Amino acid sequence: MNEHQFENVNIGIPRLESLSKALGQAKYTDDLRLPNMAYAALVRSPYSCARVLSIDLTEAEKIPGYLGCLLPEDVPRQYFNCSGNPPSPLLIHDELVLTREPKVLGDRIACVAAETEEMARAAADAVQVEYEVLTPYLDVRSALREEAKAIQPHISEDNVIQYRDVSQGDRGAGESASDFIVEDCFSTPPMQHVTIEPTSCLCDFSDGEHLTVYSTSQTVFQERRLIAEILGLREADVRFSKPVVGGGFGARQQLHAQHIASLMSKKLHRPVNLSYTREEDLYSVVRHASEVKLRIGASRDGRLQLFDVEYYLNAGPYTTHTPTVVAAAARKLQYNVPNYFFQGYSVYTNHITGGAFRGYGNTQISFAREILMDRLADKLGMDPVELRLINHVQVGECFPCASIPVSSNGIEDCVRRCQAIQAEIDTQFPLVDNEEVRQAWGISFSCHGSGPSSKEGLSSAIVMLNDDATVQLLVGSSDIGQGSETMESQIAAECLGIPLSSVRITAADTLLTPYDTGTFGSSQTFICGNAITRACDDLKAKILAQLRVIFPEGKVEERANRYVVQENGQTTELDLAQAARKIMYDPKGGVMIGAGTYKAAACPNPFSVCFVKAEYYKKLNAIRLLDIIEVVDVGTPINRLTVAGQLEGGIAQGVGYALYERMEINPRSRRTLSSDLLHYRIPQMDDMPQTYVDMVDSHDPYGPLGAKSVGELATVPVAPAIVNAVRRTSGQEINALPLCDRFVILPSRRKEG
Amino acid sequence: MKNEKNNEITLFLNGSEQRFCVETDETLLHVLRKRAGLTGAKKGCDLGECGACTVILDGRAVNSCCVFAVQADGKHVETIEGIGTAEHPHPLQQAFVNAGAIQCGFCTPGMIMAAKALLDRNPRPSREEIRQALSGNLCRCTGYERIEQAVMMAVEIISGYAER
Ligand code: FES
Ligand code: FES
Repeated sequence: MNEHQFENVNIGIPRLESLSKALGQAKYTDDLRLPNMAYAALVRSPYSCARVLSIDLTEAEKIPGYLGCLLPEDVPRQYFNCSGNPPSPLLIHDELVLTREPKVLGDRIACVAAETEEMARAAADAVQVEYEVLTPYLDVRSALREEAKAIQPHISEDNVIQYRDVSQGDRGAGESASDFIVEDCFSTPPMQHVTIEPTSCLCDFSDGEHLTVYSTSQTVFQERRLIAEILGLREADVRFSKPVVGGGFGARQQLHAQHIASLMSKKLHRPVNLSYTREEDLYSVVRHASEVKLRIGASRDGRLQLFDVEYYLNAGPYTTHTPTVVAAAARKLQYNVPNYFFQGYSVYTNHITGGAFRGYGNTQISFAREILMDRLADKLGMDPVELRLINHVQVGECFPCASIPVSSNGIEDCVRRCQAIQAEIDTQFPLVDNEEVRQAWGISFSCHGSGPSSKEGLSSAIVMLNDDATVQLLVGSSDIGQGSETMESQIAAECLGIPLSSVRITAADTLLTPYDTGTFGSSQTFICGNAITRACDDLKAKILAQLRVIFPEGKVEERANRYVVQENGQTTELDLAQAARKIMYDPKGGVMIGAGTYKAAACPNPFSVCFVKAEYYKKLNAIRLLDIIEVVDVGTPINRLTVAGQLEGGIAQGVGYALYERMEINPRSRRTLSSDLLHYRIPQMDDMPQTYVDMVDSHDPYGPLGAKSVGELATVPVAPAIVNAVRRTSGQEINALPLCDRFVILPSRRKEG
Repeated sequence: MKNEKNNEITLFLNGSEQRFCVETDETLLHVLRKRAGLTGAKKGCDLGECGACTVILDGRAVNSCCVFAVQADGKHVETIEGIGTAEHPHPLQQAFVNAGAIQCGFCTPGMIMAAKALLDRNPRPSREEIRQALSGNLCRCTGYERIEQAVMMAVEIISGYAER
């Protein structure tokens, strides 16, 4: 398929910034130092629900180096929503900077500052807070009980933040058209992002008028807007500048403690660093725990007739993202079904606050759907792959209740590639089925969007041409480790026909770069990428226009990134550098700046197929993952190395989700058990099965150079594929994670040799 | 309990002898980051559970957040800053770049130092030995596949030197 020939994209190249990371030179937030910097630490509630009776600072004030404290009455009292999404009525305001009524473990009660980080922690620990401890509701069921107290009475009496109904067709018609109906309830646990870099910010509001924030941020422009609102500033007086960030996965798609650190900076007239401990990070935000009641009906020929789901998300006590996570889940069904009913509930509890996490609602619903599809295939006596393929939405068709048609779809190629890899593995290691061990494969499909599904993605880019044909590329989107700066530079190089080494990018600094909605919704490639192609087109058009001013008698054209001038019977060809010089230093010249913005009108769906080979030890009731294959249709992969890395990382997070990750609160002490990385276990190198990833040839008509997204997609199908494999090996039906509750987990990997 | 102040220690830090005044309960990681200005070793947990702070102490990979600075007195400490430069990166540093083993990069310095300690001791490790040696180093971004490949690539490069 050589329809699309590229120089700078659809190749695998190392990240631009990776050598500085390998040398230890890359600067992360907590590596930054400002003159006269102080350190802040938070006094947090040890209870999931309580009332503060008194706060006593006497002991804290005695700690050497103590500088000061902020109490709830010292800070603005208006409610806000910390989500880094653009403004929306779904983002209900119910959170305070500091509170005397903690509703969740780790709620912010007060903030102290000292000369060093250790002194600040010691002072925070020395603050004596007296609490009246109240009974928390930790799960959705208890919060929804008739007699449950309202957690946020000014928002909701019954602890339902929002109810969302998305449906088409007729339930009765779906039931009667179905020869088989399968149904079950599924639950998934709260999962923490565990970015290896803990959350951190450095805020300088020393003059009380201009605020500069360096922080672990995915959404600098939204965070600027939020903090300006909270502190009563104008956005132009607030600068959010993103240093190198050690991972996000959604955890930094929100404000964390920048507000209180800024207020402390104002109080002390000094820059303030506020960095979380690992324990604070663990209970700061999670992927929502879910309860999903699902019914799928199909006629005898395997056609789906009914998809009926009740979807409950455990929001914790603050709304943050929850209703948008529910909304995102409502339109992620990649199978045609005439009768579709989605009822989604965002529910307040006192569990850890749910926020954005790679997958954003899709993870939980795909988990239930893909497991139930396998059971349905068994009932119908159909191959699980074929069942999915015959129902799959095709190009030109819409997902149920969605309004944008699918614009490219390589799912069949993904299946065939997975099957080819599967065959190679099984040739080398034939499936075992004996007295002791049984091996089997499980599969799952998934899809995602290429930007926020609400069409609120908006991005912009500026390309400035230098006289040696290098360019400065300015974009607002944040590289949080996923590799967007390299990808964006590649797109610019491709569009301008210059080598990648001629592009210098500056990203995610509200003082220097143009607006971007933010790094979320897997939107960087598609949305920011489209802004870049437009900026490059604009630059090229301006170059042509300026050359026409300079050569008014001549005919000026662009051919394959060269500028051809025909004047007085003579033809001159200028390359970009020659054109740039001519333009900048000619008496009729000018400065060449291309600008582009892109408002997400489309949101092409990338697709993924995941195959998992697992084994089950009958006597031990133990499982081991052997191989995981994931093949995706992401349109044109801009950087094949990055896409492969996203897939492998997404698989690892799916393995952790499936096998053992869960933020746990001890029901008796009501404190978290998951207070460190021994008690909250993420996959280690030795835990990972063999992984195989690939991308199929694909090109989306709306994508920049044909590209769609990959980041979130990568992790969605993994847990259900694992469960489907374990179900086939063990013969046990599974409807909850993590699997360590049910099985002994054996270290993954065959022995070598 | 009062910290005794002003313990003077000497570190042979990346080959150069340096003195520091430290507190009794101060960690080696703290000395590196806050006193020596070497922020390459990262603080991912401060509890010995993530490996982001890995440095090499007298030839062995250690979690520098779990070593008191006074315990390192008189010893050789190698950090990520000491093993290569932009012009002459260590083969592991180059291999991590080329293999695409670096995403957010926060785990990278610790990974590379743990791998270096392994290769210094055992220049031809098996894949299993690599996985074991690096299993104390957590990475949330990469799924480890390319980190393992990067170490294998560095093994090839280093053994190429040795044969010359
Ligand atoms: S910071 Fe030392 S092991 Fe995590
Ligand atoms: S690259 Fe991000 S933690 Fe390893």
